[in-house]
Formats: sequence, C-alpha cells, structure tokens
Amino acid sequence: MNSIFMEAATNLEISSIRKWKEKGGKIVGYTCSFMPVEIFHAADILPIRLRGINAHSMEISDSYYGPFVCSFPKAVIQLAGSGKYDFLDGVVLSNGCDTLRRMNDCWRKMGEDIKGALPSWFYYLDVPHKPDGHAFEWYVNQLKKLISAIEKQFNVQISEVKLNTAIKAQNEIRDLIWKIETLRRESPLKLTGSEAYAAIIAGTLMPVDEYKNHLNEFLNTILKRKGDRAEEKKKIFLGGSICDDFELIALIEKSDAVVVGENICFGIRNVKDRVSEANNPIQALTKKYLSTSVCPRMMGWYKQRAAMIIERIKHIKADGAIIQNIRFCDLHGTENGLLERDFEKNKIPSLRIEREYGPLTETGRLKMRVDAFIEQLKSADIKE
Amino acid sequence: MRPELKEYNLDWLFASTFSVAKYLANSSPGEMEYVYKYIPYVSKLLKPLLETGKPAITFLDLFGDYYTNIVNAKENGKKVVMTTFCFDPCIFYAVDNLLPVTLEIGTALTSLAWKRGSTDFMDYCTEIGFSETGCSSQRGAMGAYLAGLGAQIDLVALNMGGVCDTNANAYNFAAQYLDVPYYGLDYPSELTSDDVREYHHQDYRNLVRFIEEHTQCKFDIDKLREVLEEKRKQDDLMNEIEDMQRLIPSPVPGIFHIMIYAARYIYSGKKKFTKLLGEMVEIVRDNAKKGLSGLSNGVEKNRTFLVYIDNYSNGIALYEWFEKKGISHLGNILSRTFAETAPYTTGIPGTAYRIDTTNFDTMIDTLADINARMPMTRTIRGAYDAPNMWLDDTLSLAKIYGADCCIYLGTPGCRNTWSNIKLMARDLEAFGYPTYIAYGDSFDSRVETWETTEMRFEEFYNIRGLL
Amino acid sequence: MSIAAGFDVGSLSTKAVIIKQNKIAGSAIIKSGPKPVESADRVMAKLLDDTGITQGDIKRAVGTGYGREKIKFINHAISEISCHAKGAQFFVPSARTIIDIGGQDCKVIKLDQDGNIIKFITNDKCASGTGRFLDVMAKVMNIDVSELGKLSQKSTKPISFASICTVWAQADVIKHINSRRPAEDICAGINTAMANRVSMLTNAIKVEQDICMTGGVAKNQGVVKALSSILGCRIKKVKKADPQLIGAIGAALFAQEIL
Repeated sequence: MNSIFMEAATNLEISSIRKWKEKGGKIVGYTCSFMPVEIFHAADILPIRLRGINAHSMEISDSYYGPFVCSFPKAVIQLAGSGKYDFLDGVVLSNGCDTLRRMNDCWRKMGEDIKGALPSWFYYLDVPHKPDGHAFEWYVNQLKKLISAIEKQFNVQISEVKLNTAIKAQNEIRDLIWKIETLRRESPLKLTGSEAYAAIIAGTLMPVDEYKNHLNEFLNTILKRKGDRAEEKKKIFLGGSICDDFELIALIEKSDAVVVGENICFGIRNVKDRVSEANNPIQALTKKYLSTSVCPRMMGWYKQRAAMIIERIKHIKADGAIIQNIRFCDLHGTENGLLERDFEKNKIPSLRIEREYGPLTETGRLKMRVDAFIEQLKSADIKE
Repeated sequence: MRPELKEYNLDWLFASTFSVAKYLANSSPGEMEYVYKYIPYVSKLLKPLLETGKPAITFLDLFGDYYTNIVNAKENGKKVVMTTFCFDPCIFYAVDNLLPVTLEIGTALTSLAWKRGSTDFMDYCTEIGFSETGCSSQRGAMGAYLAGLGAQIDLVALNMGGVCDTNANAYNFAAQYLDVPYYGLDYPSELTSDDVREYHHQDYRNLVRFIEEHTQCKFDIDKLREVLEEKRKQDDLMNEIEDMQRLIPSPVPGIFHIMIYAARYIYSGKKKFTKLLGEMVEIVRDNAKKGLSGLSNGVEKNRTFLVYIDNYSNGIALYEWFEKKGISHLGNILSRTFAETAPYTTGIPGTAYRIDTTNFDTMIDTLADINARMPMTRTIRGAYDAPNMWLDDTLSLAKIYGADCCIYLGTPGCRNTWSNIKLMARDLEAFGYPTYIAYGDSFDSRVETWETTEMRFEEFYNIRGLL
Repeated sequence: MSIAAGFDVGSLSTKAVIIKQNKIAGSAIIKSGPKPVESADRVMAKLLDDTGITQGDIKRAVGTGYGREKIKFINHAISEISCHAKGAQFFVPSARTIIDIGGQDCKVIKLDQDGNIIKFITNDKCASGTGRFLDVMAKVMNIDVSELGKLSQKSTKPISFASICTVWAQADVIKHINSRRPAEDICAGINTAMANRVSMLTNAIKVEQDICMTGGVAKNQGVVKALSSILGCRIKKVKKADPQLIGAIGAALFAQEIL
C-alpha cells in the first residue's frame, strides 16, 4: 500500500495541502463530480473534493440539518463546523442531490453561528438534470459564470490556453488511472481494490504534478510485482452512493474478496472517459462532466447507465456486484432496486445493502452481509 | 399485499365511490345517517365535506368524473399519463386523447377515505425495489399502479427535476418499472432571470414534442386557448378567496383549502373546477359580508399558517381539530397559485405568471411559466432564504394573512425540506412566529399516529399561549 | 470419536452445539453479555459442564454471529446466513426459504434445490421486524417474551397497530392496556405487526416452498401463525431442535464437514 495514497485516503489535511498553503496557494473545495477541476487548475488554484471522513459525531450538523437526511453532507458540515475546513479559501457547491444542495443553506447559517466556518468565497454551481440540448447550453453558461467569478474573486485570468493545458494534464492523470484500472483486472491479481481506491481518492486532494509523479511511481511498483495475490478471492464490483471512505472497500476485502471496479462517484469508467482536447474547452468540459455523467440524478437515463454498469461488470469479469446506498439516499436507494432486477436478468449475482456513511457505519452488520454474499458466490463455484 | 386489495382497482374504487356519493345531495338526513353506517371510514370524509353544501356535490362530481375517465381511458381510446401534483394538467387537457393521473392526490384520497390508508401499496413499492425512505406521497398510489391495480399507464411526464429528487426519482422508477416513456422538466435554482425563463420555455417545448410523439396527437390551439381562459377564470376566483382570507375573522372554511388544491391539481382548466370555485366564492362572500368566521362554531381564536402541507393520514382529522379549537386554517404552500393577479404577488417581474393566449407560442410559454411557479417548483427550488423562495414567501404570506403561528407538516421522505426546516423555523421564530415542526408523515399514520400529533399540537398551542 | 462444535454469538443469546457422527450430542444457551468473546467463553464453559466433554475433545469449531472472528477457540468463522441455511436444511431438507428472526436481525434466505443460497435479504432499517421489537413490547406488557405467542392464541379480536416504529408502538400498547383491552388481543396485535414487517422482506424476495423459520422468534406461535396467514401457506416447523439453536447447529455441521 502506497503510504502517500493511504494518507490521502484516510486524512483530510495531507502534507501536499499544507505545503500548498505554505507557499501562499489558494484552495477551493467542491462537492461533487459535476465540478470540472480543470477550471481551478487553470487558475493555479488547488481544488479539493469535500469529504466527510473522520466525522465521529453529528451534533453540529444536527443543529442545521433535520433528521431523515443522508449522513454524507451532514458529515461535511460537521467537519466544517469543527474547523477542519478552515484552510479553504472558497467552496463551490452544486446540486448533486437535494441534501447536498441544502448544504448551501446549512453551511451559511452555521457561518453566522461559528466564526470562521464559512469560507470567504461560497459559490453555487447550478447543474441541470439533463445532459443535452438546452441543458447543455445552460451548463456551458454556468461554467462561464463560474470562471468569471473565480477570476474576480482570486484576481486571476483563466484563458482558453490555460484551460486546454489543464485539460491535457488532467487527461494524462486519467490515462494513468486507467492503467491502474486495467492492472486491477489482470490475472494473477497484482493489487487490491483498497490500494487502487486510495490512489484514486488521493487525486482529489493533490496538485496535479505531484499526483502524476506518485501515480507513475505507484504504477512502476505494481508492474514489478509478481502477482502473488490469492487467486481464490472473489472479484467484486462496488456501486451506489458516494463512497469517499476507504474503509468500506477495506471491509469488503476483509471478507476474502477483492474489489476490481467501482461506480461510486470517484475514478473513471472506461478508456474514453476523458475530456476532448479537440474542441472548445468549455464545450469539451461540458461534454465530459455533464453529458457522460453516471449519476442517478440524471433522471430518465437509467437504461443507459444500467447498460454501462452491466457492461463494465462483464468486462472486468467480476464474480458479483455489491450495490450500496447511504440511508436516506433515495436516488441510489431506488436505482439499486432497479439494478438488482437487471443484474438478475443478466445473471450477475448481487447484494444490495444500506448503510450509514463513514465512521458511523455499522461495520459488524455490514460485514456479516458481505461475508454471506462471498460465501454464496463460493458455494456457487463448488456447485459448478 | 392483502388479497382483498387485489379485488378492485384503486382508481375504480375512487370512480365508483365519488360518482355515487354525489347523489347523497338528494338524501334526507335520516337516509344519510343510514348510509354512513355502511361506510364507517369514507363517512369520515363525506360528513364534513357534505356540510359545505353545494361545493361538496361539485367536488364529488368532479372527482367521480376524473376517475371514471381514467378507468375508461383505454376503452375510449385515450392514453394515460402519470404525473405529479405540481404539474399543471392544463397541457394534457389540450390534447384530445390524453388523461393525467396524479399520484399524490390518489395517495391522499386513500388515507382520507380508507382505514389503513395506502400503506399496503407503499409497502408494495418497497417490495419491488423502491426505496422505503422515499416520499410517501407518491408511494401510495404508485404502489397500486405498479401492482396493476389501476389504469394502464402509457407515459410519465412531470416537473420536479431540480426541485425534488425523491419525487422525480419516484416517477423515474415507475417509468422504468412499467417500461414506458418518461419526460421530466428540469428547474434551475433561480426563478426570475431571463436565462431561467428561456430555459423553462425550451424545456417545455420539448415536453410538447414528447407528448405529440407519444400520443400521435397534435395540440389543438383552440382547445388550449379554451383551457387557459378557463384557468384564468379559476385564478380570479381563487384570488378572490385568497383576498377575503385576509379579513378577521377569516370567512374561509378550513376544509375549502384542501378541496381547492386537490381539485386544482387534477382539473385545472376544466369547467367543473370553475363551478366548484364559484360556489365556494359565494359562501365566502356571504360570510365576509356578515363578518362571519369560516369556522363552524363561529369563533376564531387563532390563525395558523401551514408552511408546507397538511396532514392526510387520518381522514380529515387536521381540519376537524382546527375546527374544534377555533383555529382558522390560512392555507399552505399548496394553496398558492402565484398568478400575476393574486393578492399576494408583488409586481416584481418574473415572480408570478401571466396568462397570454395570443398564439400557440405565447400559450406554451404561459404554461411553462405556470409550471415553474407551481407550489414546490417555485418555493423549494433554491436556497430557502433566496428572494422569492420559501422564507420570503412564508414571511410575506404569514404577514398578509395575519398568522399567529406557523406549523410544518411533511413526510420523512422530504429530503429537501428536512434539510432546512430547522433554519426556517429559527428564522420564523426570530420574526415573531411561534413555529412547530411535526415529525409525522402526512400520508402514513404508522410513522406518528394522529393521536400523538394531536397531543403535540395541544402542547404547542398551550405552551405558546396561542389559544 | 470426533466432535465438531458450532458457536453462535447473538445480540441477545449465545448458543453452542456439539455434533458427533451427524447427531446433536449436546447444546448450551446463555444470555449474551456486551462482549462477544466473553459470551463465547461462558457458553463454552456451560457446554463443557453440561456435556462432560473437555475442550480438547472438540476437533473442529466454527463460529458465527457478531464478533465471530474474535472467538479464540474456533478454527473458522462463517456468516449466520450460511449457518442458518445449513442448520435449517438439516431438519427440513425440503426447505427452499428460511426466515430467520433473531434478536436484532431479520433475514430471509432463498435456496436452490441443492441447498445452495441463491439470494438473501436482510432488515437494514431498525428494530421492528426483529426479536428486539417483541422484547420491548413484552416488557411494556409486563410479561415474559415467551408468553407473547401463547397468550395470543386465545385472542378473538386482535388489535391492529398503527405504528411500525418500536418506540411509538410502545405508546400504542400502553394506550391499549389503559383502555383495558384483553392482553391476548394486544399480544395478537403485536405478533401481527411483527409478521407484517417481516412480510415486506418475504414479498421482496418472492418466497418458495417449503418455508421454515429459525431463530428465537420462531418459538412464538403467534408470529408464525400470522406470517403463515400472510404468506398463504404453512410454515414448516423445525421439530427436533430449538429453533434458536439452528445457527449453532449449522456452524457445527460446517465444522463436521471440514473434519
């Protein structure tokens, strides 16, 4: 396990963030995968994905959020209220889902009560729930507005040239991550899902050049391995609600399994999952971030998403799929019901589970279900 | 699902119940009492309804018609579109062979008229894979339709994208489960900018194309104009009631609110709804002239504004409790139209809609504007404290109507409002409105029984000295 | 003679079973403490005491239940789902669906004709639909939980409970007690509410016959009867063993296979 990636997967403020701040760099947090990070890279601002890990209680967020809501944004608010995000120079929120978009309301209210909890720049990116037509144009305009707002707030210039450079650099990262993805599927297995996932998450916290170097080192290390990972481990695909919490992958892998692919709001889906370098950069960013989204918030596009997920599972030869949702996540909670049905039609064994987010996850209960699922997969082998 | 529930289709039950119930107008009191013995649960709805006189009969007639048409849709060569309460059905009535079925009305009616409400259907949704934590307002009737206990659904069209994930998600699920075409309108968080208005108009035009494609029917411009002009009349009548509600005591009977919005969501643009409103306006005018309260005992002790929805989980219990306590119901988020002509609109451009029937384009734009200003699509699409959003509207309306306090009633499935009701309540209290947050489910009494809710209401009103 | 043992550490009770040549040779049940390892130690002590064997006589042991991996004296840990399926099939070879309602979990397991698990579904929400619900209600009624089933058999007018929530249902029970409703009718209502909650899982998985129940709640005839009625078919009883022991029996059977 790469220790730098492990640090990034399990901590919020890692050494590269500290160093960035020390040299006077600006850092902006963002909430979801609809935020094109290239825009911030082009402005020489470090974008970091807001996470909720290490939130061990919810008493601050419970003062703002009501009950019956997903614990992920609550965890983020809890951390922000505890001063863990005080290093941010700004935040871009987007309407990934209703609960996430209300983080706008709750965080601002909390900022009135807790000094310093609200970053000096707080921006709302309005993402449509459709990928094309007038929604495409709307998103293009939203990106243009975001760019103007960043330029004004941080006194920078984000030119097309800089955007293209940032896109190219981020695509290189994507290519490296794709290499990791292909290595995950190799036989004999050379790396665990935990390692791969930690590497993926780390990219949401690090400057691009630094991350690229670490990825290259990591790849070299893996390539040199002899593939001594146990062959009899069951290969699992993990889907569902956002999971920035490395512990969930680790828990699954403790049950004599290896997670060979995910669809949980981080990472890349396939080799084509990159930003086109041929077109106008904002149009290209829109095409990638909006039009090829795999989020259930894009209602009416379930069939395409399901087909993509099923194709991925077959391609990586997973033995089974675990689809989870954070309690009160209706988007994934419901889509998982449809996926379960479609997995069955495609003879993909699946386990559907519900959990709380992060450190509050009931690990014992989850482990029992995962264990049982792996045992079920193994006994199917014996039968054959 | 209990086997007895599979005997009859849900919409058929509504069609037959309401179509027959309207004939109670011709019964003597003795005959009515006799009938009530045989309908112990439906009578809980019928009795208070029939006390309103003519509006009750029109209401029953309207609902009887509505559901009868849905039940006979296939036979009559019509297609059925599943939609949501915040989607103004005018557009559907401008197409010859299309009928809308609104899920939330079905769910509410089931718990207004049945002992266990629609809980069996809600559980059925969970059994087939739908999230149990989703909003109960869709889950009730949706369970019936997905179990095949209702008319065949041909398409799904609604307008909750960007406003309410759990709602849009429910319809999306239904469309996938039934494998029928789906169109969802999408709403950015702002309301009034030109960009947003243009977005609404383009989105709505796509909806029109979707409807034409899937019904093989072109929009009849004259019919559309007729429907919109009818809607204009309805807006005027509703505005009149809203205006008179400002009087002290309020001359509006509490039960009128649910009658108006329930009928509006299914029959906007149809003549029977205009008739219903006309009859109600007469009663309210009469009360107003005489300085009478709309409460049956005549004494107004409190004026309560409901910031979100009412509670339907135990028949008409909420209205009856208000009546008993002398509390004037000042309506809720569902009661407002935001027509330009409404007494509570401010004249600020973009906040309200104007009906323009000049040509097809202006009419489609009007409908797009209407839909963007339906209760939830307007109020809870953006930050709660943004202009023209929830806090703004609530404070304005509470002031205009002279509210003494505010109550929040909703469902545990409402991710949107539960994510900011504590902030709202804090602000409302700061503005001088005692505010109570109820933790029950307006459509499912299993979450909190009505007895418990009532007990907590008593506590709130007593402790805050509101009665 | 090789002895195989199974240990099931549950939230409410910890069970141990020994098997010799495919026959149950002894068992023990104790109330669980807060620490699974200590509960396992205590049930081992009771088992040895009751049966007269020594720990060394046990050649293979399998543990199941929460905290199973931490038990020191086991050779393998296997999930309760697999163990309950194994144990139930031992007594009801024709079982295709197993409904296991334990102290804090409710699981429905579906098997193919060879006894392999093809699907399972569990209660992920809360206490209602688990033994905890019945425990809480029995406490409010001031009776032992084992009385809930017996009393309900005398009911002529079962009460319908509005609440699915364990917390709110308590208030409902108190209300009915204060209204002097017969205890048997309240018990019947409690059992039916429980069965209704479980039926959501059985309906989701589409049960197939033969159906059998395991876990402590299977001893409550009221719940079994109510669930049978909802499912529209008979639930086969595990006759030759305490249903609460099925998980431990399954674990012991796995241990025997390994031996």
